Amino acid sequence: MTRAKTKASQIKAWKKDIAGLTYEEATQALDLILAELQSDSVPIADLQDRVLHGEVVLDHCEALLRSVEQSVLQLDPDSLIETSSLTDPNNPTELNNA
Amino acid sequence: MTLSADRIPTYSVGELNTAIGSLLERGFAPRFLLEATVSRPQVKKGHLWLTLTDGTASVSGVVWASRLSQLSYRPTDGDGVTVVGKLNFWAARASITVQALDIRPSLSTVLRQFEQVRQRLEEQGVINPGRQRSLPTQPTTLALLTSVPSSALADMLRTGRERWPMTRLLVIPIPVQGPVADEIIKVLNRLAERCDALAVDGLVLARGGGSREDLAVFDDEGLCRCLAQFPRPVVTGIGHEDDLTIADLVADHRAATPTAAMVACLPDRDSAERSLQNRRQRMKDLVGWRITRDRQRLNDRRTLLAQQSPLKRLRQYQDDMHQKRDLLRALSPSRWLQRGLALLTNDAGEALTAVTSIKVGDRIMVQMNDGELETDVQIIRPASNQSKT
Repeated sequence: MTRAKTKASQIKAWKKDIAGLTYEEATQALDLILAELQSDSVPIADLQDRVLHGEVVLDHCEALLRSVEQSVLQLDPDSLIETSSLTDPNNPTELNNA
Repeated sequence: MTLSADRIPTYSVGELNTAIGSLLERGFAPRFLLEATVSRPQVKKGHLWLTLTDGTASVSGVVWASRLSQLSYRPTDGDGVTVVGKLNFWAARASITVQALDIRPSLSTVLRQFEQVRQRLEEQGVINPGRQRSLPTQPTTLALLTSVPSSALADMLRTGRERWPMTRLLVIPIPVQGPVADEIIKVLNRLAERCDALAVDGLVLARGGGSREDLAVFDDEGLCRCLAQFPRPVVTGIGHEDDLTIADLVADHRAATPTAAMVACLPDRDSAERSLQNRRQRMKDLVGWRITRDRQRLNDRRTLLAQQSPLKRLRQYQDDMHQKRDLLRALSPSRWLQRGLALLTNDAGEALTAVTSIKVGDRIMVQMNDGELETDVQIIRPASNQSKT
């Protein structure tokens, strides 16, 4: 396997690892990488890998921030079971003043 | 205008009362609002009878039992109220009573209730700034309790989307005006039981603007105790900026408006983006600094290695030797002999440094710059100028 292919598969694995992380968890992972870089614990030979890993986590954080779709669910007040998804909050059909 | 006798209508009492009733029915609004102070309220056979007065004029009032059970507010003597009423006219006695369809406390009554509840809850420690919990920095799920649909909800959803779309919002419709405290309490209790299951990190209780009297439900003591015991941090956004309710006082954070409540609960996406950019730059800087520093260390080692080469060390030894030779020369007595001084020694080769160690007739050696002399001592003159022969 060539070095480029190895790198690509490594990046793919990193992306898979962080896919389920929340923004808070992802920023914690990023700060961990930054702390390692700052503490000299990373050998020079591994620097590039660690930076690449950081870039992947940063891209994940930015993608989360750019997401425009917010999950808004309406629950029934008696059962607290979901009754509808308020996907377009800009266009409520009827408004009152309250 | 003069009235002739044949134009004056003639009634029986019953007819007169019926005519008055008919006139009132035609000429008086079917429903009206009446601002008044309640006097001598008393329940008789399930109906609430009271006198409504403005201090000068008064009129009887009644809340029928069927309506009384629906009222959220039961007036007491001296309460200022706004009555939604209609006229009841009893033809048999020609008596007029205001039938109250709804009674709402006036602003003064609302504020008095506010102060009473506040005092009680403060005394019991329910209102206590020291027990306020901190809000989650990045909540996963927020529960929004407000009227649906409403402009307040639309504002909150818009703010949520703009600030932090990653937080899931659970909208739970509640009534926000009138005798609805019990309904809100039920929802709060249900939600409190299911906070873990729904992963709720915080609660926003919100209501759009209205008159202070409209917000009176949020002064309800039971509702506010329930809010104080809610297992997650509570943020209120009720009414306008100037409105303060008991719910605001027991909440962990009081926001001036529903929109402000969302701002308080959610991080700012723009500042988070700036923070990410700073981290990206910091990562580049750290790598740059690390490479620069390691390169500097490498150069230092190269210099150190060069200093350890055999040729370099040989030169160093030579330099040291030259320095020692120069020092030796500087300290040699030949420098003194060259300047005309002589070195005296006795037969034993010991240096003579004082006339007291020499006797007349002794043989002494005189070492000069270019040779030696041997001579016998004939006269000794100590420094005190006393000669000895």
